[in-house]
Amino acid sequence: MLAVFLQLVVSGVATGMLYALVALSMTVGYRATTVVNFGHGDMVMAGAYAVFVFVGSGLPFAPALLLGLVVLFLFGLGTQRVLMRPIIAGPHLSLAMMALAIGYAVRGGARLEWGSEVTTLQRPYAQDAWMVGPVVFTTDDLVIATFVILLLLVLFLVFNVTPVGRLIRAVFQSQRGAALVGIDVHAFHGVMWGAGAALGAAGGVLLALIVPLSPDMGVWTLLRGFAAMTLGGFGSLHGAVIGGLILGVMEKLLGFYLSTVFIDITAYLITILVLLIRPSGLFGRQAAVRV
Amino acid sequence: MAALLEVADVTVRFGGLTAVDAVSLQVGAGEVCALIGPNGAGKTTLFNAVSGNVAVTDGRVTFRGEAIHRLTPHEIAAKGVRRTFQNGGLFGQLTALENVLVGLHTRVDSRLLGLLAGRKAARQAEQAATRQARELLDIFEIGHVADTPAADLSGGQQRMVEIVRALATEPPLLLLDEPAVGLAPHMRAQLGAVIRRLAAERGIGILLIEHAIELVMSVSDRVVVLNYGKKVADAPPDVVRADRNVLEAYLGHA
Repeated sequence: MLAVFLQLVVSGVATGMLYALVALSMTVGYRATTVVNFGHGDMVMAGAYAVFVFVGSGLPFAPALLLGLVVLFLFGLGTQRVLMRPIIAGPHLSLAMMALAIGYAVRGGARLEWGSEVTTLQRPYAQDAWMVGPVVFTTDDLVIATFVILLLLVLFLVFNVTPVGRLIRAVFQSQRGAALVGIDVHAFHGVMWGAGAALGAAGGVLLALIVPLSPDMGVWTLLRGFAAMTLGGFGSLHGAVIGGLILGVMEKLLGFYLSTVFIDITAYLITILVLLIRPSGLFGRQAAVRV
Repeated sequence: MAALLEVADVTVRFGGLTAVDAVSLQVGAGEVCALIGPNGAGKTTLFNAVSGNVAVTDGRVTFRGEAIHRLTPHEIAAKGVRRTFQNGGLFGQLTALENVLVGLHTRVDSRLLGLLAGRKAARQAEQAATRQARELLDIFEIGHVADTPAADLSGGQQRMVEIVRALATEPPLLLLDEPAVGLAPHMRAQLGAVIRRLAAERGIGILLIEHAIELVMSVSDRVVVLNYGKKVADAPPDVVRADRNVLEAYLGHA
């Protein structure tokens, strides 16, 4: 019994790492611009397909991955610059709808090309599994965990130790103050929107290791990202990570002990319960968030 | 001599309301110019017009001979016009020291990438900036809270952090919006002394909005009085003190 429980927790943490990365990437864009990117799931999807295309064109995996992240960064930066900046002074809802529209457009494009076929991203390594005590670890688990942990570590250092991170934290807290000391807040918005897309894309590539590619994988991802953000406290960076991990584990536990139906509805349940019982989430400071 | 800052016939309208009505004024290098007037006279709006936070409807603002009234706030700040706000603008969760360091960023900026790569020169620049920021905080008697998040400081301390952040880069022009609000009397005197010293020793031009009239009279070279968006006086403090128009602006027409 204990073995099963441990196994569920290990698998849950592995998927939770993915949710954490997606939630974190959404939080970065949200904190920078105060706009929730409803099209973020489609950036995750686009990242996976971009790397799929680059690998298909003959590039080795690592350069294909890097190129994919760069492309998504530029895409995020570009769409923010061209489509969102002109309406930045308008209501928040218009910006959120624009983000949603961009996501839909990307999804539509992916459907045109890959709508009817099931494709998978070839792992650049051989899948293997090990028994540690009674628990099975797969190479996928390890790759995902290693990659996400490294990424979190780098992000943590950049944010908290470097002067660039200090600027980022400054703009997160007061855009007026930032403009006051000579920071180009608009340019910053674009860069952070791009960084969010690139981080999301990294999540998409990792996700593609364990599920087939599909133009609609963004819907599924966005929902998990939202739930993780809500649970951790909307806008909290470490909250997004911890929320993602808890969500991943909860899905597995509820899915096994109650019913497999719960794998797909845990995210909804968590969102609803958190909003009712503790709207600020685990680490949030404010309950109300403008969309 | 050309003025450091020249505001020429500036008008700011919000819909039908004329908040600032054809106001002209000049601030020279090393000069302290106070902007006073009753609430709603247009002082802060004029500040916002200079710093790019509101659009100028008509007229020109030039800084060192260059028109700046069509630029964005960060562009104006980068040119060397720094300001404080009546409230807000601090980075609440950053420490007092970090707030000042962000204020210094334009100077450390060019080496940021080098710093990421761990280059020695860049690290030294960052250390120098940190040392300078700590010294400034000490001068303003808030050195002991340098590592406290700004949001946890008292109102007076926050005000001081904001001022230190604005002047850390030694901007040629400093706009201070009611810097003495929330300061204890001895800090007020301290602030007055610092303002005088910045102007006299560093040649910084200072435009000051202040209600604490004794501070205004003791630090200013010139006092500009606004009422209903119009300039009603522009003279040295002792002249303004005796001006009937000014009394009327404050007391209302009998």
